[in-house]
Amino acid sequence: MNFAIVLFAWLGSAWLLAVIEGWTITGRLRLTAPLLSGLAHLGRESIVPRTPDRVFFETAPVLLLIVAVLGAAVLPLAPTLVIADLATGALFINAALAYVLVALIMAGWGPNGAYAMIGGWRFLGQLIAYAMLIVMPITAVAMRAESLVTTVIVGSQDSLWNIVYQPLGFVLFFIAAMALAFRAPFDLPTAPGELGGGVDAEYTGVRLAVLRLARLTLVITLASATTVFYLGGWHGPLLPPWAWSLIKTLAVAVLMLLAGRYLPRIREADLMRWCWTLGIPLALLNIIVVGLLVLVVP
Amino acid sequence: MISDPTMTITGARQRQGRFTVLQKWVSRALAGNLSCLIVPGPEVALSHGLDVTAAGMRITATPRDASVLLIIGELSEKMSEAVAVLYAQMPRPRAIVILGGQPPSTLPDADFSAGVSQAGLIDAVDWLKRALAKGAFSDSPEDFDAAVLHARIDYVCPMHPEVVQNEPGSCPKCGMDLVAREAGESAPEHDHDHGHDHCEHRHHEHEHQHHDHAQQHEHHEHEHHHGHCHEHHDSHEHDHEQHEGHQHSHENHHDHGHKHQHDESDGDAEEKDSGHDHSGHHHGGHGHDSHEHGGHDHVGHGHSGHDHGGHDHGSSGFMSMVEVTKDLPRSADGLAMDWMEVPFGPVFPGLPGGLKLTLTLDGDGVTEGQATSLVGMINESEEGKEIDAETFIERLASAMPLASVSYRLLACLAIERASGLENDSATDHARDVALERERIASHLGWLAQLGRQLGFAWLTDRAATLQLEIRRASGKRLVELTPALQALAARLGRTPLLKSRLKGIGILPSGTAGLSGPVARAADDAGDAWARLWRRLDEMTTSLDFIKATGEPELPALRNIGRGSGTGEATVETPRGEARLSLELEHGQVKSYRLDTACSHHIGLVATLVEGRELGDALVAVGSLDLSPWEVIA
Repeated sequence: MNFAIVLFAWLGSAWLLAVIEGWTITGRLRLTAPLLSGLAHLGRESIVPRTPDRVFFETAPVLLLIVAVLGAAVLPLAPTLVIADLATGALFINAALAYVLVALIMAGWGPNGAYAMIGGWRFLGQLIAYAMLIVMPITAVAMRAESLVTTVIVGSQDSLWNIVYQPLGFVLFFIAAMALAFRAPFDLPTAPGELGGGVDAEYTGVRLAVLRLARLTLVITLASATTVFYLGGWHGPLLPPWAWSLIKTLAVAVLMLLAGRYLPRIREADLMRWCWTLGIPLALLNIIVVGLLVLVVP
Repeated sequence: MISDPTMTITGARQRQGRFTVLQKWVSRALAGNLSCLIVPGPEVALSHGLDVTAAGMRITATPRDASVLLIIGELSEKMSEAVAVLYAQMPRPRAIVILGGQPPSTLPDADFSAGVSQAGLIDAVDWLKRALAKGAFSDSPEDFDAAVLHARIDYVCPMHPEVVQNEPGSCPKCGMDLVAREAGESAPEHDHDHGHDHCEHRHHEHEHQHHDHAQQHEHHEHEHHHGHCHEHHDSHEHDHEQHEGHQHSHENHHDHGHKHQHDESDGDAEEKDSGHDHSGHHHGGHGHDSHEHGGHDHVGHGHSGHDHGGHDHGSSGFMSMVEVTKDLPRSADGLAMDWMEVPFGPVFPGLPGGLKLTLTLDGDGVTEGQATSLVGMINESEEGKEIDAETFIERLASAMPLASVSYRLLACLAIERASGLENDSATDHARDVALERERIASHLGWLAQLGRQLGFAWLTDRAATLQLEIRRASGKRLVELTPALQALAARLGRTPLLKSRLKGIGILPSGTAGLSGPVARAADDAGDAWARLWRRLDEMTTSLDFIKATGEPELPALRNIGRGSGTGEATVETPRGEARLSLELEHGQVKSYRLDTACSHHIGLVATLVEGRELGDALVAVGSLDLSPWEVIA
């Protein structure tokens, strides 16, 4: 039952997000646009490039979708509304999202095209940049909650959301999450202006529809993770818990989608350098500060 | 205006399938989601004043994502070939719209054609919506096939490059099996994969046929039927222009192998271990795709000869990266990677349309590169052919779509001087205002292009909107738009990441030969992409000040020259730099002319700008030159 509700909520969010994205780009609010665009993708040919690595080519979009949904499975919408309330929930998200890299390398290698391949390898570099900045802020979150269980993490923010308790961690996690979701300005693997679509470049028709849905779902999963870890999850006045979860998730997701419109794509070398020379020391500092707070404040 | 009265898209544009209820909905969805690939590029649409998004089509970055091929203006022969490849890559159902030109011979007839105007574009979108809703599917779609998509396969001996046949067999000199290669390519043994590819995809490009391929593919992955495949080519996958790369990567594997072989056979003559033998062997029988690297390696260092080639990797499955890369050439970052030659353009979202940039990539570092124009103007007039002065002006202006006013002015000035007319200061001022207005519009067009390249959507939208408004605005309106332009510049100054993206990229120090225009003026500052951005923004302000002080613009039109004769020369500072035209006039006819432009010189700087840079930086460096491929004189 929970599974059906969560899945429905997820699809609904993906649809709403697509509507909002279309609205900001075209200036028109069309509720049917995402459905029609999906249908149009189904109507187009799904071309297979010459001598692809067929297994990689076919698996990549599906894998990306599975990964995004898997990550969502441990994120609670309400105290009881969670597919799997694992004892290692916060760690599980990490493990699931590690496969984003696998999916993108497969999508890069599969179609047998240079643009896609460079895109895939670029994401490998990107992972080296963002990976620590996903894990280290989560560590600080888990320190405060004294648990890896996602529902307990939300519970620990009852009095004070983590965005206030550890703002530095929030900023780092949010940036790293955008890099993980490869949204602009971190869209190095797809980079239309540099790689003509990169890992997306050779997908058409149904496969492209799956890939787009997967990317959208990934954004929602990461927005939901941000909500659970930093924005107090389902906490909020008046509205029911699940509504607060969805509102916060959508707000973060829209922020992720829109930020890229107002920024140029980051240089690969800069991303790597800033993440390691600036991001990781800051993440360590965050852990120390949170550790002190946990010890000092009862 | 409507070229096809049947109200449906036909032939090679439809997709296989019966018109069922579901398809009715799908067709409507297709009609409501038009996405177009603009040829030569979105910047040309903008400079013609076309607002494609407002007309109801989404502009896509790739042919794979496009359902409409929108061609603006006449295409050169080389562009026509490239366009056929792009068209073949588009998933069906697809349509061709041509504004202001003849359909290229490489493509089927246009579904809709009209003049270059926003009204024509809107008509086209209306028509496409109706036609797609009605006729996106067909029981018997035709195949799209064009000569340019075919490649002739030659059979050559890996040992004796001079042995070339048009059918498979064995080498008369050494008895080795001949291997296939595409005609016109140089690496003797590279075409194993090509032959293979052509076999695999001997059908055509449809989905339902691809299912066949899948099976064939799995079963015949490593078999090679050269003999059967030379006339069958997949119609869409034979693309060299935009969206294939591994093909090139394979080429390069082989190139390398070849190079090393020569080294060895020159150095010591251990025949048994030589790369020749090995490469012949490897590619003859063990060219598994996944073991390319292994094979390549062993061709390279040659010690291991036969036994350690494909065999080794084939059996153990282990590929030591150290072994594999130890003899590859090292690039600036010290990492050994496969080198591959990848084409960017002539229709590429990050570069101006018509410009083809060929980069040799090592990972995503550029080891070398060069740019060519596929649309450049040819300098000399045809021998003995005189052109009417008015026609000459029109022709020159339409040949330079990104700076038509500048070249119209240039032609007018040169002809007037040739005929001995005195300058008329009122006309000159009005013309100069038009020139400055075009400079602002052109720089905005460059900003929109920069936005496309950097994925900075806000900049693209904002600059494009302003460009559309400014290109034909009155002097008064231009003055009103001043705050908007200032706000744009201020915004760019505040945009995070922009400076780190442009600073220090594409440095051309002052004194570099051949610099002109904003690029030369930026060289007096830091000479990098960041300096060029600010130089262009400054020039926009300067131009506005000039317009404010001078008055209303007037498009240059030829004054009455009668039937004058003589020679004249004129120079105009176009948005991209100085253009010089000298011509000979005889009885009001242009007898001969000579044109020199800034872009002709700037394009030569590309090689030095891209060498040793990361791919993203190399593209930014090329983009920052604001090359107009039309203004590259052959």
